[in-house]
Amino acid sequence: MSQDRKVLIKTRKLKKYFQINKTTNLKAVEDISLQIYEGEKFGVVGESGCGKSTLGRTILQLYPQTSGSCVYHGKSIQELNPQYIQKEINNLKNYQKKASDYYQESLKIDKEIEKLYVQRDAFDANGNSNDAKKYDALSLKIAKEEFKSKELKKNASRQLREGSRTVGSLILCENIDEIAKLFTKAQEEVKKAHDCLVKLNGLRDKYDDNAAIINQKATVDGLIAEIEAKQELSEVDEVHLNDLYATKKKVANADVKKLQAENDVLYPQIEELKAKIKEHHDIEMGYRDEAFKYRGKNILPITERTQDKAYQDKLDGNYETGINLSKLTKQELRRIRRDMQMIFQDPAASLDPRQSIGKAIEETFAINTNMPAHVRKEKTMQLLSRVGLKREHYYSYPHALSGGQKQRVGIARAIALDPSFIVLDEAVSALDVSVQAQVLQLLNELSEEKNLTYFFITHDLGVVKHFCDRIMVMYLGNVCELAESKELFHNRLHPYTDSLLDSVPRLTLQEDRTKEVQILEGEVPSAMNPPKGCPFHTRCRKCMDICKVEKPEYIEALPNHFVACHLYSKKGD
Amino acid sequence: MEKVLDIQNLHATFSIQKKDYEVLHDISFSVNRNETVCVVGESGCGKSVTTLCIMQLLPNNGKIKSGSIYLDGTDLTKLSKKEVRKFRGKKMGMIFQEPMTALNPLLTIGYQMRENIINHRGVAKKDADKMAIEYLEKVGIANPDKRLKQYPFQLSGGLRQRVLIAMVLSAQPSLLIADEPTTALDVTIQKQVLSLLNDLKKDMNAGILFITHDLGVVAEIADRVVVLYAGRKVEEGTTKQIFKNPQHPYTIGLMNAVPNVDLDEFVIQPIPGTFPNITEHIDGCRFNPRCPRAHECAKCFVSAPQMIEVEPGHFVSCHLHG
Repeated sequence: MSQDRKVLIKTRKLKKYFQINKTTNLKAVEDISLQIYEGEKFGVVGESGCGKSTLGRTILQLYPQTSGSCVYHGKSIQELNPQYIQKEINNLKNYQKKASDYYQESLKIDKEIEKLYVQRDAFDANGNSNDAKKYDALSLKIAKEEFKSKELKKNASRQLREGSRTVGSLILCENIDEIAKLFTKAQEEVKKAHDCLVKLNGLRDKYDDNAAIINQKATVDGLIAEIEAKQELSEVDEVHLNDLYATKKKVANADVKKLQAENDVLYPQIEELKAKIKEHHDIEMGYRDEAFKYRGKNILPITERTQDKAYQDKLDGNYETGINLSKLTKQELRRIRRDMQMIFQDPAASLDPRQSIGKAIEETFAINTNMPAHVRKEKTMQLLSRVGLKREHYYSYPHALSGGQKQRVGIARAIALDPSFIVLDEAVSALDVSVQAQVLQLLNELSEEKNLTYFFITHDLGVVKHFCDRIMVMYLGNVCELAESKELFHNRLHPYTDSLLDSVPRLTLQEDRTKEVQILEGEVPSAMNPPKGCPFHTRCRKCMDICKVEKPEYIEALPNHFVACHLYSKKGD
Repeated sequence: MEKVLDIQNLHATFSIQKKDYEVLHDISFSVNRNETVCVVGESGCGKSVTTLCIMQLLPNNGKIKSGSIYLDGTDLTKLSKKEVRKFRGKKMGMIFQEPMTALNPLLTIGYQMRENIINHRGVAKKDADKMAIEYLEKVGIANPDKRLKQYPFQLSGGLRQRVLIAMVLSAQPSLLIADEPTTALDVTIQKQVLSLLNDLKKDMNAGILFITHDLGVVAEIADRVVVLYAGRKVEEGTTKQIFKNPQHPYTIGLMNAVPNVDLDEFVIQPIPGTFPNITEHIDGCRFNPRCPRAHECAKCFVSAPQMIEVEPGHFVSCHLHG
């Protein structure tokens, strides 16, 4: 099922460390690779301090990430035309050169090491004290040099990996200059298409405004008559009627003929721009196709792996078609933040007590759009009624609202700019159960209506089970398990998931319970000094020897069911 | 069975801008020895005010209008401030939601425990230390002698809550009041603390009054349940009666609103509307604006319902059962 769904956000080995002092890092998020699909409700659970909030914020780039990549596919490169791509293209040659340099240097060191081995073996380790001392000294030196060489090799492949983000396995080609030229040309086309798109959006807004006024003028009298003809007016009708009177007044002086004439001129212009954008896109793709003809040809022996087909495929897999969020400039990031919003746990703390609800929501429009004041107010009113608040709430202050209502304001603010991705950080945890259910219902409706994608962070397993499509379980910054929600609850693979689910207070009586529950002992270790090997081994019931030494790999144990545990890795067999 | 706590017709008010508003209306229930009674309800329903009434810790604008609270046969409402102090901490101990704020950050765990034991048990300092260690062991803390020398910030949330439980137990109270003691804890730690309380109940020789909003926790720990809504008791019964056969529409609504982990299919069914403000005046039953069945009975909008015993030990206050 995952094949035909569009990926919205893709992270690869995303890491976030917080520096505590010069030598200690708090490893909050460790190597998270995941894909979030469009329209999906993606749940993240774990105990406090497991890094779930940090992950959400790192994806939104509210915290700068330490390493890894986070690619957003909700907007095309044409729409944003980010600067970093050209920079990366210019840098391709550099990446290649650096990788080569690092590798050559490591080879030199390797030769040195061989010599050292010969020197060392001349001494007898078990011989007299002088010999043994020399032997040990050389062993230490060898270990140091080997570490150096290993790091250099790692650096080399890091350089190639960075380059492959822009051009895939082409980074290995001898003809990198020509490839860079072709990509630069493609990028020029992207820029042209972007300029056209900006123009197009301006014209389209004007066209839509005109069309709306023409339409309103034609229908407003009919709608007013329809409501006035009713015997009894409900509250909703009265509000509606007032709106209609306001509209009538607004469009009274509008010159329909003039507007229509304007639109008649605009329409061909819009069509022309659309065609132009398509044209630019085709040319761009042409350049890219031309560049990719070099794939697999004239490959440079930069490192020993470069001739390996599997390695080339891996580099091709790094090729990014979306927008790499961590490389955007501040202004570019601001533009993309409209698409990615956040709802916080404490609704009271995220509202200014001295700002009215209406102003708090309207601010979003004032900052991000250039709507005139009356349109902003109208939009705010629409939002208020959409999230189940009354129009009067526009003028009230946060203290006059209950917790559930405040959270609705938070939701209204988040959806104001029609985002595609929302991070909900424990958005319903502070609410009472009856209100929590109301808010969840609202979130469900909104996601269907606007095709929103949620990144739902919570510690409540009941909520996550019935609200989310897929669930990821985190422990100490690492992913333990990821699966569709039903699958996860029926077929728990990781011992931590098992214990976590057992700990949830059940709504069944003690006497009706069938399963004997073992209590998970101990507490979460500090992320500053996480245990070696599997992070969960200190509390795990099924801990084996290997768990204490080696970190388990993150594998697909069952179709679409991922787990990081030695019980399921092939090495454990 | 011996009643440790017996609350009869308790009415409490808060005055806001010189006007009195009733926050508790005619609350009666009791807690027996070696029994856990859970008080459930949404925030603002009066659960915490009930505990404050028992502890005689109401804020200055709060007042007990009428009714009586018997603890081991003594009416707490009739006592002077000085006399209440002898009961507080000694006969009734309280565990709060936020364990960090309940402990003094500047003093060691040992100092705080010792102070408590010397005060309430009247023993010498040397014996107090021994007793402190004994009680820390009882609540499942490893290396108690080491913990005594530590400060609260050195302990995790779960450990701090255990220390508080040990502290309350060391006074050998008749009644233990726990006000949402596990809300701030993670589920795995919550499970540990709940099972600890369940184990202690057997040999503590006291009653536990447990305040919570989480029905899952209720199923885990309670013998009997009292459901409050807007300062009124709407239902009371054994845990089995409440979970198997809930009678009040509010209790049923609460049950349906909790996303149940054990069910495969679950449709979110919120209780419509919002919780009434205490300053809001509602005719008839306080729940009628949100009640899905209010239209079935005209009395709901006219008069407040009376408590009715629908089966032995199971009380409900709803016109539908009149």
